[in-house]
Amino acid sequence: MTDTSAPLASRRRLPVSILIGTGLAVVIVAAAVLAPSLIPFDPMRMAAGPRLAAPSFDHLFGTDEFGRDLFSRVLTGGRLSLGIGLTAVVSGLAIGGLIGLVAAFAGRLVEATLLRIIDVLYSFPDTLIALALVAFLGPGIENATLAIAISLVPFYARVTYGLAAAERAKPYVEAAKLAGIHTGRLVRVHVMPNIGQSLVVMGTLGFSSAILSAAGLSFLGLGVQPPSPEWGAILASGRNYINKAPWILIFPGVAICLTVLSFNLIGDSLRDLVDPRRKDRS
Amino acid sequence: MLLLIFKRVLIAFFTVIAVILLSGILVHVVPGDPVTAMMAQSVSATPEAMAEMRARLGLDLPVWQQVLLYTWHVLQGDLGTSIRGNESVAWLFLQRLPNTFSLAVSGLVIALAIGLPLGFIAAINRGRLAETVVMVLAVLGVSIPAFWLGLILMQLFALELGWLPVAGSGWRNIVLPALTLGLTYCALVARMTRSALIEVLEEDYIRTARARGLREYQVLFVHALRPALISIVTVVGLVFAYLLGGQVIIENVFSWNGVGRLAVQAMLQRDYPMIQGFIVVFATSVVVVSMLIDILYGFLDPRMRKS
Amino acid sequence: MTSSGNPYLTVRDLTVSFQGKGGEFHAVDRIGFELDRGEILALVGESGSGKSMTSLAVMRLLPQAARMSGRITIAGDDVASLPRRQMEDVRGARIGMVFQEPMTSLNPVLTIARQMTEGLIRHQGLSRKAALAAARSALDDVGFGEPDRVLSQYPHQLSGGMRQRVMIAAALALRPGILIADEPTTALDVTVQAQVLDLLVDLKSRLGSGILLITHDIGVVAETADRVAVMRHGRIVETGATDAVLRNPTHDYTKALLASHLTVEKALGLRPAEKGAPSRS
Repeated sequence: MTDTSAPLASRRRLPVSILIGTGLAVVIVAAAVLAPSLIPFDPMRMAAGPRLAAPSFDHLFGTDEFGRDLFSRVLTGGRLSLGIGLTAVVSGLAIGGLIGLVAAFAGRLVEATLLRIIDVLYSFPDTLIALALVAFLGPGIENATLAIAISLVPFYARVTYGLAAAERAKPYVEAAKLAGIHTGRLVRVHVMPNIGQSLVVMGTLGFSSAILSAAGLSFLGLGVQPPSPEWGAILASGRNYINKAPWILIFPGVAICLTVLSFNLIGDSLRDLVDPRRKDRS
Repeated sequence: MLLLIFKRVLIAFFTVIAVILLSGILVHVVPGDPVTAMMAQSVSATPEAMAEMRARLGLDLPVWQQVLLYTWHVLQGDLGTSIRGNESVAWLFLQRLPNTFSLAVSGLVIALAIGLPLGFIAAINRGRLAETVVMVLAVLGVSIPAFWLGLILMQLFALELGWLPVAGSGWRNIVLPALTLGLTYCALVARMTRSALIEVLEEDYIRTARARGLREYQVLFVHALRPALISIVTVVGLVFAYLLGGQVIIENVFSWNGVGRLAVQAMLQRDYPMIQGFIVVFATSVVVVSMLIDILYGFLDPRMRKS
Repeated sequence: MTSSGNPYLTVRDLTVSFQGKGGEFHAVDRIGFELDRGEILALVGESGSGKSMTSLAVMRLLPQAARMSGRITIAGDDVASLPRRQMEDVRGARIGMVFQEPMTSLNPVLTIARQMTEGLIRHQGLSRKAALAAARSALDDVGFGEPDRVLSQYPHQLSGGMRQRVMIAAALALRPGILIADEPTTALDVTVQAQVLDLLVDLKSRLGSGILLITHDIGVVAETADRVAVMRHGRIVETGATDAVLRNPTHDYTKALLASHLTVEKALGLRPAEKGAPSRS
């Protein structure tokens, strides 16, 4: 009994998850962008209120161990997290995309060698790669961003290669080659516009994992350093007050969850749209 | 089949060599002098002490010699000496390995125990409420950071309810970190199980089994689940690798005395031999597990076994 | 149960439809036929004419998106209104089916023994040992010289023709009143096609099962069927005894089918299906 009604059902469900994801993302991005004018306090200002105060009208998310306003810190932290995520995704996509294109168009030997290397790297979880790199580079926001960007490279290289290799087989590429168009120009002018859209979609898939890695690294003290209000860093200091002031844990954590969730929802649904064959495979 | 195993072992071996080389090279990619970075926090950072450390680490040799020397030592089981405690890196990791392994396996077992049935339920209820619920849970699951979930569970079960200890390395202490890992990665298992099973349920042989008049449970549990499980086995290797990655943080949340906690301490202290050792140990675990999984797959799938 | 005089399988006013973009699409449109044990009825038509949907409707294995109306009875039972578990009792035991794709219709991770005995154990309550013996003799029936070797093998170790014979053996081992054979020879080599067809005819006369043969090949019809129903666009446009229909086609479509077939035959200068006993493997 091949169940043909189910794809219909998921097609119906699709817009809902995109809607929720996009709605969440818009709110989160807006909050981060507008943070400077939204926040009631300087996120770094000590004793903006009593220490470890519970959420109240004055301090919507409560205060931390230094009396800093948590609402201001979480909103400002969003700028950091989204900034790291965006930088890492863009640079990771650029490097990985380049490698993927080279693998697809630079001839058999290069293709085989690069693919082998990409596959090996891909078998390591990206958090682990980011962690290992940061271990060498040392803590700090720039190093963490760089490490996360590199950790995404295998994924993006693989995706780009897949798209480019599929494109390579199409008649117009063959025709362009016969017409004597240089490979570099062929890729720039003909292939890139065709796979660009799919690459942007795949970019969103890396975004959520970049945010998770950034929070994890900062939580371990290897990413953004206190007193910067990065979500993972806030959680790291908040864990000492887990009993007295659980709100220090709850608000930044929920912020991470919602951000990652929104981009997961968008990414998953977009991927289904771009690649219907994969609709049911997650 | 023997050839397959041989090839797979060979690939794994060369991957491990590549990782060792890489971790040998990475120390030299670090901007600035590693010794300065390492001793920055130390009061005994006299020029003599730093020169002595350089010599001890072989940093006065050309880079390529250092890398090859390091690789040669690692292959003999010598991961060097830690800078802080002046102890054998290999021995330090070896001591913690059982702790890390028991936690990883417990986490994996929980992830499978929850994820497999959920994925199964989602697959056989396509287009119905049950599938939607599982898929919503799954996307929530992959969106929650493991360490945050750990903190929440700790707050709930250890601090509020007092059922379990907050941290430590006794047998009761494994429950919370294992549960955290299991809950985090069961979402991944559920998604993969669902898609593997959906793929199988669309196969012609499922229709044949139904046409044979088998009971629906026979169709699902024998004809669909068996081939699906074979492809799920490969997924387990992947999940295990991810779980190992997440475990580094979880060990720190719960002060679990494993390799991950040791590694993060070393990273914070910039103890390079330890960091290199961690990379070699973890990467080797990932490579060996995925190799074993591939070989196991060969044994499970009759199409591979007899060829 | 079968009231004497009534055919084993009756199909009345069967309609199978799908909800498409431009409204309802009728894959099968108010067709009717009957089939008794010991005879072969061929449903012939080009792909998309609704032959396969008809057979799936009889098995109640239609895709969930399909809607069915009309009445199908098997040995007196109304297929549409049977509870699911009773329908599972009907499938395989009273009405068996052999599918078009021998390469993908057997489960790749189960042995032939497992796939041949499970139906026997389930429907006839045989012990594993007795079921194995029955499977062995069924394989012998379809011309396997070494049934035991085949039983211990996995599908990928068999050729397409061998797999199709295994499928037929597995279906016939359950002694169904009717066997539906959906394009049983399409995916096979020409030489193997003839073997499988002869096998079906031979088994019909020996075991007394009725066969509903679904095919697009009018040559196959001529070789095997007692009666034929020509389908086009979901409807039966012509039906009758095979000889009568093929000799005196009344409908234009049937004539066209025959004409195209004869052209092929002339062009190649050979008969479509060659006679010959199934070779012992």
